[in-house]
Amino acid sequence: MGDIAGKIISTLITIVVAVAASGAVWLTANLIVGQARHHWSRFSTLAMGVGGFAFGIVLAGNRALVGTGTIEVETDRNDEVLGWITTGGWFERFIAWVWFPLVAAVAFAVIGAVVGRQTDRRIRIAIGAIGLGAVGAVAGALVREEFRPDIEPVAILLATVIVAGIGAAVSTLRHRDVISGALTGSALGWVIGAWGAPNLGAGSSGWAAVALTVPTAVIGVRIARPGAPDQSALDRLDHKSRAIIFLFPALGFISMNLVIPALRTFYLSLFDRRTENWVGLQNYRTIFSDPKSWDTSEWTNMFSSRLMVIGAALLVVFAILGAVHRRRTGRIVELGSPSSFPLLGAVILIGFAITTTVRGTIVNNIWWVLVVTLFSTTLGLAIAVLADGARFERIAKSIIFMPMAVSLVGASVIWRFMYIARDSAKTQTGVLNSLWVGLGRLSTGEGLPTLIIGLLIIAVFIALVAFTGRALAKGEPARAGAPAVLAILIGWFGWRYWGITGGGVGGFRIRDTGEITAQPINFIQDPPFNNFWLMVVLVWIQTGFAMVILSAAIKAVPAELIEAAKVDGATESQIFWRVVLPQIATTIGVVVTAIVVLVMKVFDIVKVMTNGNFGTEVLANNMFREAFQVGDRGLGAALAMLIFISVVPIMFLNIRRMQREG
Amino acid sequence: MAGTATTSDGGVVDRVYRVLRAIPTWVLWLIVVIWSLPTLSVFINSFRTRDAQRSRAWWTTTGDELTFDNYQSIFESSATSSLGDSLLNSMAISLPATIIPISIAAFAAYAFAWIDFKGRKGLFIATVSLLAIPLQVALIPLLQLYVGGAHVTLPWIDKTVTLIPDFGLVNTTTAVWLTHTGFAMPFAIFLLHNYISSLPRDVFEAARIDGADHFTIFWRLVLPLSVPVLAAFAIFQFLWTWNDYLIANTMAGTNPDAIPTTILIANLAGDFGMNEHLLPAAAFVQAFVPLVVFFALQRYFVRGILAGSVKG
Repeated sequence: MGDIAGKIISTLITIVVAVAASGAVWLTANLIVGQARHHWSRFSTLAMGVGGFAFGIVLAGNRALVGTGTIEVETDRNDEVLGWITTGGWFERFIAWVWFPLVAAVAFAVIGAVVGRQTDRRIRIAIGAIGLGAVGAVAGALVREEFRPDIEPVAILLATVIVAGIGAAVSTLRHRDVISGALTGSALGWVIGAWGAPNLGAGSSGWAAVALTVPTAVIGVRIARPGAPDQSALDRLDHKSRAIIFLFPALGFISMNLVIPALRTFYLSLFDRRTENWVGLQNYRTIFSDPKSWDTSEWTNMFSSRLMVIGAALLVVFAILGAVHRRRTGRIVELGSPSSFPLLGAVILIGFAITTTVRGTIVNNIWWVLVVTLFSTTLGLAIAVLADGARFERIAKSIIFMPMAVSLVGASVIWRFMYIARDSAKTQTGVLNSLWVGLGRLSTGEGLPTLIIGLLIIAVFIALVAFTGRALAKGEPARAGAPAVLAILIGWFGWRYWGITGGGVGGFRIRDTGEITAQPINFIQDPPFNNFWLMVVLVWIQTGFAMVILSAAIKAVPAELIEAAKVDGATESQIFWRVVLPQIATTIGVVVTAIVVLVMKVFDIVKVMTNGNFGTEVLANNMFREAFQVGDRGLGAALAMLIFISVVPIMFLNIRRMQREG
Repeated sequence: MAGTATTSDGGVVDRVYRVLRAIPTWVLWLIVVIWSLPTLSVFINSFRTRDAQRSRAWWTTTGDELTFDNYQSIFESSATSSLGDSLLNSMAISLPATIIPISIAAFAAYAFAWIDFKGRKGLFIATVSLLAIPLQVALIPLLQLYVGGAHVTLPWIDKTVTLIPDFGLVNTTTAVWLTHTGFAMPFAIFLLHNYISSLPRDVFEAARIDGADHFTIFWRLVLPLSVPVLAAFAIFQFLWTWNDYLIANTMAGTNPDAIPTTILIANLAGDFGMNEHLLPAAAFVQAFVPLVVFFALQRYFVRGILAGSVKG
């Protein structure tokens, strides 16, 4: 237990130190800026101190000065550079790193204090130039041998003049003081010319001191020249620096963790596995030419698949119903019109027919997006409608919503227990196979249970037929649709169940000897439909998300609209399709885009359940494997870019929507 | 019995009609039952002995099969290496990854809502458009950053400049929550901005006239007024970080001392071996914390989801 206590304490210390240190920095920044409006010299002191610290960090952090620790290049077994480490204990390293920034901060702060108080301009400029120049001279004299630059007068002159010109031009364009811009530019240009161009390590320490003194002195002049600003300038400064301070932590994290890495990923995707050789678009070509991501070799099979046949039949039904509907309303298909359902069914079945014959990683991703988005949204909408105003609505919704709190890893483990397939001789312990094998046993067996279930099927079938007939007799063909379809399905099921054309349904197999044995489905390993069973896990989770949002949207539909429709004699289903659905269309769009973005990067379920085996590979899992297990950074980066590119259209949609809303 | 329904007797058909009219309610409760079956099966299995789990279905459980042994053994270090440790790791990731983004995003949301500066709207849209970025796109460079720091080799002088030194963060929980903090920013800013920007303008103007600066307004006015939305985001972010697998696996997956519960369970699920009977108990323990948070604070959670999507 001491172990665990130690761990808790060390974790807490890390958190407290991290939070307290960054909080202190942020508060200090606010305090410093807070001084600007009323105590200019105090602000000048503190701001210069911070500037000096930053100046010191640049030099000491790169170990460019004598006495700031030594650097060793750290490499891995393959001589790939891992990083630069400094030697010594942590305290020693910390002191080596921090002493110069502290000294520089104090020196700068003193100069800032004097400059901030001094009202005589010429004295101010002299103090600024001499003071900062002196700090620069000391730092330059301390520069380690291998960093000392050679003298290159032409380069220095050129760079100084050019960058000074740029600085002046920028200042002019922004209606600021031209001389200040020129001074900043010339200091920057000098640094580039003196330190950037020549070979480092070839010069003397005297020249290094001069090379650092000149720009610091120029910056000193630049800072000391303007003096204390007037009140309106101070207000502007307050606004601007507050905006920077409030935004900096967030934007810093975003650029460090998202934007720069994303750009670098693009860069890496253009190189080979170790980022050594430029390969152009080769990684992308590898992905698209790999049969694993795009295997069309058996595409002709899709026309003979049962899914395609039923889908085509539904298209015919759609054509007939559409023709009828057109005669009545002038449109072939509308939301909720009788022709819309066979069209939807046909699209789903034909989509399945295509995605089960054309296989591969990219196809799987598309299949995931279509199935999870469609099923989660429609199921979520259906549940939201069914539960609206029902008894115990909140309990029902809580239970549907609960999987949102379970991790994808946990959900995968949970569903593995649903999908367990055991040897046909053993008892099935998974719910789905137990039902499936049980159904097979019932439909092929004899005895009372088989008879009772069989009669029940007949009873339901007849009830549905009666319901259809009554609806037709009452002149409400719209109400006959759903029971008629159900009657056809149950009728087909009963046909098989009773074995009218050689039969039975469910998990069974008839051996050559005539013996009947159980035949469970291996949900996780039998391609291509194992993909679908993995998608079910995500549907299980995301339906709750869709339901919560859509349910709120439905409740927000103005009651007057619905009342008005009722007064006009609209039926429940007409109200839903014609009034409610158009009202919540934007929300449905939001739900769909959110789910699409989520599904494109689906990883956990595939990783835990199959690790991409049995034809279930998706882009995100492939990327993880290539980048972090195989170690092919180029290919991994290219796969990550593909995932990114696939959500770019949605990013644009979101931006457009935000711009519209102002 | 089947034949009677076909008679033209109006009473029977009417009764059938009424039963069928009630179908939607039955469908709803059928869906509810189906939805809770998977969780129920794991919950019951977690209390059953190894033999019982392997040979008989969970709905045929008898009283003498039930046991607490699974829960006992997952907390013993021998069986699954360290569920207790990984729970601590999960906490060490989730707590900072919840608290730190909230404060940082609150600053930024306030700045975007109430500080006037040039390019505010463009910057805000750019920030929030990152919501849809799949985090895979940042993982490889981030791991490189944690492994060796960031260095730039200047091409014309062939010198390498260290931008960010190597802090030795790889395979630590710190690397995981730092990454979470960055990835949470766009959504957090979006959610908090929606709320903070809808606070009444008069309050701010009155405070400005009284001489309050932005920091005072933020600290004294905005933070206390924003507690509901801060809570909503906190729940969201806590569940997300507690349940995350990808980031933790990338940044700390190879260090057994730093892995959170999700990785432990995924590893346990991966080895199909001796300990498979412990999986239900481990999965249930893993899900216990988020479920408690979820059921206790469901109202805030729902409010967060709605604010993040419907208003958007």
